[in-house]
Amino acid sequence: MAAIDFLLDMLATVGVFLILTLSLNLDAGYCGIPNFGKVLAMIAGAFVVAFFPGRILAWMLGLSGDFVVDNASMIFQINNFLASDLLMSVALFIATIIVAIGFGMVVGYVSTRPAVKIGSGPLAITLLAMGEGMRVIGINYAPLAGGSIGISAPDVFAWAGGDRFVVASVVLFAFSIAVFFYVNRLTNAPLGRMLRAVRDNEIAAESLGINIVGVKLKTMMISSAIAAIAGALYAFYSGAVISTAYTRASWTFIPWAMMLLGGSANNIGVVSGVFTFVLLRKLIVMYKTELSPYLPFDVLWLELILYGVMVILILLYRPEGLIPEKRTKTLDLNTIKKLQKA
Amino acid sequence: MVEPIVIDGIVYAALLACMTIGFTLILMSTKIWNFAYGSMATAGAYISLTAAEVWKLPIYSQILTAFVLSGLISFALYRFLVRPLSQRGISLDGLFVLTFAFNFVLLGFLNIYADYLTNVFKLRARLFFLRGADIQIFGTPGVVIISPLLAVSIIIILHLFLTRTKFGTAMRATIENPPLAGSVGVNVNLVYSITWFLAGGLAGLAGALLPLWILCYPNIGDVIMLSVFAASILGGVHSIYGALLGGFIAGLAEVWGTSALAGVLGSAVIQYRPLIPLIIVVVFFLTAPEGITGIEWRGKLTKRIRKV
Repeated sequence: MAAIDFLLDMLATVGVFLILTLSLNLDAGYCGIPNFGKVLAMIAGAFVVAFFPGRILAWMLGLSGDFVVDNASMIFQINNFLASDLLMSVALFIATIIVAIGFGMVVGYVSTRPAVKIGSGPLAITLLAMGEGMRVIGINYAPLAGGSIGISAPDVFAWAGGDRFVVASVVLFAFSIAVFFYVNRLTNAPLGRMLRAVRDNEIAAESLGINIVGVKLKTMMISSAIAAIAGALYAFYSGAVISTAYTRASWTFIPWAMMLLGGSANNIGVVSGVFTFVLLRKLIVMYKTELSPYLPFDVLWLELILYGVMVILILLYRPEGLIPEKRTKTLDLNTIKKLQKA
Repeated sequence: MVEPIVIDGIVYAALLACMTIGFTLILMSTKIWNFAYGSMATAGAYISLTAAEVWKLPIYSQILTAFVLSGLISFALYRFLVRPLSQRGISLDGLFVLTFAFNFVLLGFLNIYADYLTNVFKLRARLFFLRGADIQIFGTPGVVIISPLLAVSIIIILHLFLTRTKFGTAMRATIENPPLAGSVGVNVNLVYSITWFLAGGLAGLAGALLPLWILCYPNIGDVIMLSVFAASILGGVHSIYGALLGGFIAGLAEVWGTSALAGVLGSAVIQYRPLIPLIIVVVFFLTAPEGITGIEWRGKLTKRIRKV
């Protein structure tokens, strides 16, 4: 039983970080945008889950009361309703994901627009500040996501009963596989080459007629939409949104560490990086409890130092990561010849 | 007796100005947006705490220790990580990632140190201020007078250093054009090392005075970092005088601006204070990315007048 729990937990963790890191790979790895605000789009997705589906259902069921203040009792009634209605659950789930994608795009555009023409340093700062700002709003503006206490989200997996976490983990992982194929398709298309051109030499790319500002904005919109999916899925999976938990360390820095470990601008590399890192983290968590009685401080901080040192060592000794970047796949010669004949 | 909010504004703005000067120095010379800069200030704050509570020394006697410690951290970051990496041809973005990661290493150590002080010396090290340890000048806390004086004297010393000494001239030359400065015999690496040391030291100085009035915690520098970015951008990132001005304006806007807004809109606004640097950054990037010292005021004004 414990093994299955471990596996499911692993599946969900890998799933959410895979989606996040693939989206980071799209903007930071391929397009060269130093996105230090990955957490921003993640929070955006989580806020959509906190804000929309619960209120819509409360309105449909005719529940009275304030959604934030009477959250626990309302969510209880909503979940009872959702447990008996599979179709409604699925529809609500899909609708929320679609709204999250839209909101993610908006957030991606708004956060990138101010500094996109100025340079990569200013862009990095704006994105970072936006991520922190979104968290500040979430913590202080209670109607959005319950303020600093957090809020429960409707359980769209309630129909599965005791197997709720199994279904949620599998759905999360399935989404991550779909995102992998989507990002892989995107980056192996001519678009991927264009993104690398923008990353490697902006002036040369511009001279070839590429609209750099447009490319960067669109890339950030797509990658933020993907990260918003991760945020929404994770909020559904955990059943709650707590704004204080969306820190820069856990949702921006760790995806960066995963991407650099696996190999930036290489999707297979990112997958290997995420798996290695999640396994490493599980080991650390296991040894953490054994180590903690001997140390006069929280082992959590040692973990943070470890990740930081790891990233620095990767940058120093193996900047290409576990699996280095490869050239874009093209059609083989025979196929091209056939196409030319036809 | 001076109103607390006035003191809040002055102390915060002055210390922010000190930090912005250092941050802008690094930005001007090596073109690196140093994301680990804030945590170097926190190191200074913890030196003050240790000096006051563990060593039982007057705080002002130990601000030089804070200067040297933070300077050495900054120097080590440059000498052992930034320089080797740039020699290997890493992109500028890669260096941002480096400082971003280094920030988390520093944060980890600061948190560990805070836990250590809490558990071993039974101090309140996770949330502290040292207002009681401050000296009184004419009935007001000393930090209110000392911190603006510090900011202004730093800029005067830096001005004299940059314009009156041979090394300062070499420094300006390196900022202007590193390869050319190198070809006329300036030791560019030495100039960069000293710049990073000085900049880190300024963060340490500001950090050492921080707990004398403002509530400190291990992440305080990391939080103030956003204000430093905003102040540096507001001042135009290519001038230390602009940095001083930007620091004062951004700091006062943050403290006094929020309290003025709170008077109009209600006290709920105060919690949104961290959004002010973000607003400054966004507004300046959209309207005047060159900052207030970069705008050609005269040209703009005459154009306006001619149009009329």
